[in-house]
Amino acid sequence: MSEIRRLIRPVPILLALVIFVAVPLGLAQFGKGYFFQIANLVLIFALLAASLHLVAGVAGLLHLGHAAFYGIGAYVAALLGTELKLGFLWGLPAGGLAAAVLALIVALPTMRLVSIYFAVATLAIGQMIHTVLLNWVSLTKGPNGVLLFSGIKLFGWAAKTPVAIYFVVAVVVAASIFAIHRLGHSYYGNALRSLREDDQCADAMGIDTVRLKIEVFTLSAFFAGIAGALWAYTTGYVSPTDFNFSNSILVLAMVVVGGLGSLPGAIIGAFLLILLPEVLRGFGDVRNVLVGLVMFFSILFLPKGLFGEVSALTFVRRHFGRSQNRVPGGEVGW
Amino acid sequence: MFDPYYLQQLAIGLSQGVIYALMAIGFTLIFGVLNVVNFAHGEIYTLGAFVGLLVITALAPPLLVVVLVVAAVGAAFGVGLERIAFKPFRRFSDEASLKSRAMRESTLMSSLAVSIVAREGLELAFGSQMQTLPFDQLINKPIALGPITIVTGDVIIFAVAAVMLIGLQWLLTRTRVGLAIRAVSANPLGAKYVGIDTDRTIILTFAIGSMMGAAAGVLVGLYYGAIFPAMGFVPGIKAFVAMVMGGLSSIPGAVICALLLGLSEGLATTFISSNWADMVAYGFLIVTLIFFPQGLFGAGRERV
Amino acid sequence: MSALIEIDHLTRRFGGLLAVDDVSTAVAPGELVGLIGPNGAGKTTLFNLISGFTPPTSGTVRFKGEAIRGLKPHQIAGRGLSRTFQNLRIFPNMSVFDNVSVGAVGAMGQSALGAVFGGRRRSDAITARTFEALERVGLTAQAHELAANLSYGRRKYLEIARALAMKPDLLILDEPAAGLDDSETAELARFIRTLNGEGLAIMLVEHDMNLVMGICSRVVVLASGRKIADAAPAEVRADPAVLEAYLGVEA
Repeated sequence: MSEIRRLIRPVPILLALVIFVAVPLGLAQFGKGYFFQIANLVLIFALLAASLHLVAGVAGLLHLGHAAFYGIGAYVAALLGTELKLGFLWGLPAGGLAAAVLALIVALPTMRLVSIYFAVATLAIGQMIHTVLLNWVSLTKGPNGVLLFSGIKLFGWAAKTPVAIYFVVAVVVAASIFAIHRLGHSYYGNALRSLREDDQCADAMGIDTVRLKIEVFTLSAFFAGIAGALWAYTTGYVSPTDFNFSNSILVLAMVVVGGLGSLPGAIIGAFLLILLPEVLRGFGDVRNVLVGLVMFFSILFLPKGLFGEVSALTFVRRHFGRSQNRVPGGEVGW
Repeated sequence: MFDPYYLQQLAIGLSQGVIYALMAIGFTLIFGVLNVVNFAHGEIYTLGAFVGLLVITALAPPLLVVVLVVAAVGAAFGVGLERIAFKPFRRFSDEASLKSRAMRESTLMSSLAVSIVAREGLELAFGSQMQTLPFDQLINKPIALGPITIVTGDVIIFAVAAVMLIGLQWLLTRTRVGLAIRAVSANPLGAKYVGIDTDRTIILTFAIGSMMGAAAGVLVGLYYGAIFPAMGFVPGIKAFVAMVMGGLSSIPGAVICALLLGLSEGLATTFISSNWADMVAYGFLIVTLIFFPQGLFGAGRERV
Repeated sequence: MSALIEIDHLTRRFGGLLAVDDVSTAVAPGELVGLIGPNGAGKTTLFNLISGFTPPTSGTVRFKGEAIRGLKPHQIAGRGLSRTFQNLRIFPNMSVFDNVSVGAVGAMGQSALGAVFGGRRRSDAITARTFEALERVGLTAQAHELAANLSYGRRKYLEIARALAMKPDLLILDEPAAGLDDSETAELARFIRTLNGEGLAIMLVEHDMNLVMGICSRVVVLASGRKIADAAPAEVRADPAVLEAYLGVEA
C-alpha cells in the first residue's frame, strides 16, 4: 500500500510535464487538429472523472447522473455564448456555478437518502435533466443541439490554433484537478472519507453528514460544469446525447477502474477509457462495449482498481449494506 | 370530465402501465428473493424482443410459439446472467452468509456492466436504429370498445400480465419450488440449513424472472412494431420506480404502482407533450423516495 | 455542583417493547459512572438516546444545562459529548492518523474553501490535536498504518483516540473491554482511570463486572429497561434486586 503511494507521489509533477510539454510538442509534430481534439477530450474527461472521484471515491456516494451536471455546464456556456454573446471568461465560471446551483437544489431533499435509494435518485435526477435538455426546444434547440462559433477569447487574445486551445483546456483542467486534490488531501477530505467508511459513526464524531454530502455533491457538480463549459468551447457543439446515462456510466467506469478513492487512479482511468477506444477504432465503435467489459472485469479481478484505497466491493457493500436489511418476516410476494 | 378523449388517454395509459407491470414483475421477483437490483433486467427484455425478431423472420410461427420460444431463451439468458454477473461475487461472501451484503451489492455494478455490454453488443450487431417487425405478426388490430379504441395487443398484454401474476402466485404459494424461493427470500441461511439447494433456487428465480422479462420484450416489440437495442432502458427504470413505490419486495404492490405510473403518464400527456411524460415517472420516484420511505404499499425499508 | 448530564424520565418504546423505561440519572463533571445490566437491559439503547441516534419516546436529556432532545448526533457531539461503539466502528480504509483526525475535524471544523485555499493555521491545529490524541493512547508510532491492519486491541484504543480528539466533556464508552483478554482489560481499566483522573467525565457500559466495580465511583444497573439500582459499587454488589436480576442470571 505505502509503496504504491510512494510511487504515485512523483506522478503529479510528471503528469504536469507530460501535459504541458510533451503532449503539445509531440502533437505539434503531427500538426493535426484531430489529435488535439483527442487530447482535449482526455483532459476534459480526466476532470470529469476527478470530480466524480470526489463524490464516489472519497465520499463514497454512488452517483449515477454525473453527466447531466456536465451537460448543464456545457449548455449554460454554449447558450451564454450564442444568446447573450458572453464569451469564455463568463461561460466557464457560469457553467460551473449553474451546475453547482442546480446540484444544490436537487441535493437538499435527496441527500438524506441512503444507499441504493441515493443511487437511484441520482439516476432519476440525471434523466430528468437530460429530458429537459432534450425537450426544452425553445431554449436548448432540442436534439439538434447548440452550435457555438465564438471560440475561446481571453482578454482580447483569441485561442485560435489547436495548441492554444489545448493549453487553455490544460490550464483549466490542471487548476481544477489541483483544487480537487487539495480537497481530497485535507482534513475536509478526511471528513468526506469518514462518510464513505461509516456515516453514522462520522455523525457521532460531530460531522454534519447530510450537510457534507450536499456540499460534496455540489462541489463535484461545479467541476463537472467546468468540464462541460470546456467541452462546449472546444467542440463548438453541444447536444443532449453527449450527456446521457451512458456518459454517466462511462465516467463512473473511469473512477472504478482507476480505483475508488484515488485521484491519480481516476485520471488514469479517464486516459484509458478515452484512448483505448481510439486505438481500437479499426474494430468499429467499440467504446461503450469496452466500458462495460472493463468495468465488469475490474470489479471481478481488480476489486481495488488500479490504485484504489477502497475496493469497489467494499464501496458498494458499505453503500448498499445498511439499506437493505430485511424487515423481519418480510418475504417476496403477497 | 368524462370526455371520451380522456377515457381514451386512460386506456392508453393503462396499457402502458400493464407493459411496465409486465417488466416490474420479474424485476421485483429477483429483488425480492435475492435483495439485489438486477440492472440487466432491461437488457433481458431487449434481448427477448430481438430473439423474437430472429424467430419471426426465420420461421414466422404463431404468436404463442414465438412467446414460448422467447420465454425459454429468456430463461437461458437469465441463467447465464446469474452465472456471469451474480455467481462470481458470491465467492466474496463467507460460507455462513449466502446472501451476504458483498454479493448483494457488488452485483449491482456487475449487472450494470453486463447490461452495458449486452446493449452495446446489440448495437454493434444490429445498429442503434429501429428494427421493424413483420407487419402481419403485429398485435395492433384495433378493437372498438364503445367510445374508445384499444388494440389486440392491449388485451394480449393484459392477459399475459394477469397470467404471469396469477401463475407466479400459484408457483410461490402452491409448489415446492415456490416454497424454496420464499424460504430463500425470507432467510437464505435457514433455507440452506433445512436442506434447500439455495444455489439452484437462485438460478431458478433468475430463470423465471428473466423469462417474464424476455416475454415482455417480445410482446412490446410486437405491440409497437419496432425494436432497438436501447429499448429496455426506459421500461427498466419505470419498473424500478414501480418496485420502489410498491415497497420493494411486493409484487402486487409493484404491479399496482406500474399501472398507476402508466395511468398518470397517459393523463399527463393530455397536458404536456409525450416527450415530457418520462418526467412523471422520475418525479414519482423522487417524491416516493423522499416522502414515502416505506413505499406506497409499505413492505418496508429502513432509512438510517 | 450541577450535573454535566441529567437524564430525566427517559423512555423508549420499540413497538410493544419498552427498551428503556423511565430511567433517570445524572453524571457530574469528572465522574466515572458505570452502566451494567444483563443482555437486552437497554444499556446501548440508553446510550443511543443520549447521543441522539435514537429519538426518545418521552423524557428529556439535559447536557450542560441544555435540553438536547431532538438534536442530531453531530450537534450533540459538537456540544462536547463523544462516544465509542459497542461493535468497534473504525474507518478501516483510512490510516490511523486519518481516523483520529476525523474526531478533531468534527470538533474544530474545516470548510471546503478552507481546504482548497486555506492557510496552515486551522489544519496545523487539527494536526496537533490529532497527534495529541494519538500520543494519549500510544498509537503515534502506527499513525500511518492502515486502520484495518491494527490488532483488535489496538483498534479499541484507536476508537477511543478518535473520541478524545474531539476534546469531549463527557466520554461514553460502549463495552470497551469486549473481546479483550484479562491483561488487556486491566490495561484498559488503568487507562480509563487515568483519563478520568484528568477530569474527564466518563460513562461506561460494560459486561465485565470486575472492570466496572473496580474503577467506577457509581454504578447504575438496568434490567429490562428499568433502573433497579444507582449507587456506589459496594452497595450495588449487595443489592438483592441486582443480585436477582443480574448476578442471578449470570450464575
